[in-house]
Amino acid sequence: MKKVYGAIFLAVGIIVFAGAFCLYGRNGKLQQYQGQFFDCFDTVTTVTSYAASEEEFSDQMQLLKEKLLYYHQLYDIYHTYEGINNVKTINDAAGVKAVKVEPELINLLRLGREMYEQTQGKFQIAYGSVLSLWHDCREQGITNPKQAKLPSMEELSKRAQHTDMDKIILDEDASTVFLSDREMSLDVGGIGKGYAVQRLAEYAKELGMEHVLISVGGNVCAVGGKIDEKPWRVGVENPDQESAKAYLCTVDIADQSIVTSGDYQRYYEVDGKRYCHIIDPGTEMPPEYFASVSVLSKDSGRADALSTALFTMEFEEGLSLVESLKDVEAMWIGKDGEIRTSSGWKANEEK
Amino acid sequence: MVKSALPADGRPMKKNDVILIVVLLMTAFAAFVSISLYSKLSTREAEAVVYVKGEEQGRYPLSQDTVVELSLENGSYNILQIREGKADITEASCPDKICVKHRPVRGKGENLVCLPNQVVVEIENGEKSEVDAATN
Repeated sequence: MKKVYGAIFLAVGIIVFAGAFCLYGRNGKLQQYQGQFFDCFDTVTTVTSYAASEEEFSDQMQLLKEKLLYYHQLYDIYHTYEGINNVKTINDAAGVKAVKVEPELINLLRLGREMYEQTQGKFQIAYGSVLSLWHDCREQGITNPKQAKLPSMEELSKRAQHTDMDKIILDEDASTVFLSDREMSLDVGGIGKGYAVQRLAEYAKELGMEHVLISVGGNVCAVGGKIDEKPWRVGVENPDQESAKAYLCTVDIADQSIVTSGDYQRYYEVDGKRYCHIIDPGTEMPPEYFASVSVLSKDSGRADALSTALFTMEFEEGLSLVESLKDVEAMWIGKDGEIRTSSGWKANEEK
Repeated sequence: MVKSALPADGRPMKKNDVILIVVLLMTAFAAFVSISLYSKLSTREAEAVVYVKGEEQGRYPLSQDTVVELSLENGSYNILQIREGKADITEASCPDKICVKHRPVRGKGENLVCLPNQVVVEIENGEKSEVDAATN
C-alpha cells in the first residue's frame, strides 16, 4: 500500500515539476509584446504578439506599420500622395477620366459593391457627396460648438442624386476606375479600414506571426489565438461613457474579427441633440436606432461594412440579414443600454 | 530532523520513503518558486503609462493621487488626473474632447486615447487583465 502511495506522489511530483518547467521554458523563449502607432486611418493601432526579443517584435511592428500606411494612403479621400493614385485621385477625376490604380484599390471597391448588394443599399461607397457635407458641418460644429449647424435638407437631397453605384466603372483588365458622374465621389470610410486590417492580419501570417491581435481604432482582428491556444478576449465598450462599467460584454475570438459602429465617439451636437458620423443612405440623416452595433466575422472588411449597415437598419431587418449570412454574428446595444444578439453570438461570449 | 517528523512507529526509514520526501520537497519548492514568481509578475502595482506618439513619456502609480499636465507641441495639452485609483483626462486642448468624455480607467489594458494630440494613457500591471483589446 505504501508503495502505491509513493508511486502516486512521485507521479504527481513529476507532473507538477514538468509542468512548471514547461511553463518557464516557453515563457523564456517567447514573450508577449504590445506596440502602438498612429498615422494610419486617423486612429491608434495596437498590436499584441509574441516574439523572442524586443528587437524582433519592433522589426515586425515596423513592417506592419509600413503595410498599414500603404493601405491608409491608398484609401485616403482627403489627401494625395506622390507616386500613388488613391481614392482622392479617383474622386478628383470624376466625370473627366478613368484613373489607373493598384489592384488592392480595385479589390476594395469590388468588396464595397458586394456589400452594397448584400445590404440592399444600406452600405454605400458611392455616398461621398452626402457624407462630405455632413463631415464639413460636423468639423465646424466641433471646432465651434456655438455655431453648430445641420446641413440643409435641400442640399442633402440634391447631393443624394449623385450617389449611383452603377456609375462606378471598374475595368479590371486595365485596372482603372472611372466615376461617370462628375458630382459624385467615393467614401470608403465604412470599409477601407476593415479591409486593410484583414490584409494586415494576412501579412502578419506571411511574416510567420501565428498569434497576433490587431486593433486599429477598435476594429479588432485576431490571427490565431493566444500562444497557449486560448482565444483572445475582446471587450465591447459600454456606449454610456459616464458609466463606470467599461465593457458591456466580452467575446472570445481566434482567427476572427470584431468591429463596432457607434454614435458615442464621433458626433457633434446641434441645439443639444447628438448627430453621429454614420449617415443612412435612405434618409441622408444619422440613424437613431442604436448606441452601437458590433459584428463578429471571419473577415474584418465584411464586419466593418456590416456594422455600418446594421447601424442604419431597424433591429428586425438587421437580424434577418445577419441570420442569412454564414459566419456572421451581431450584437445591438440600444440607446437605453438594452442588449440584443443574433442566435450564434452567445457561443462567442465569455464562458 | 526529518526522521522525527515521521510517525514514530519505530520502523527504520526505507529508501522509498526518502525518495518520497525528496520528491515532495522538490515539488513544494517548485510550486513555491512558480507561485511567488507568478504573483510577483502579476501584482506589480497598477500604473497609468503615458504614451505620446507611441513613445513612453511617464508612469504614474494609480495608488498615488496626482495631476499631470502633458504639455505637447504647439501649446496642445492634456491634463491627466489620478484619483481614487483611477486615471482620467479632465481637460484637453483637442477639439473633439473624446478623451475628456471617456470614463476614468483603472483596469489593466484599459486606455484613454486622444487622437488629435496622439496621446494614449494605458493602464499597465496591476490585477490580471480582463480583456486583450476593446472594440468601440
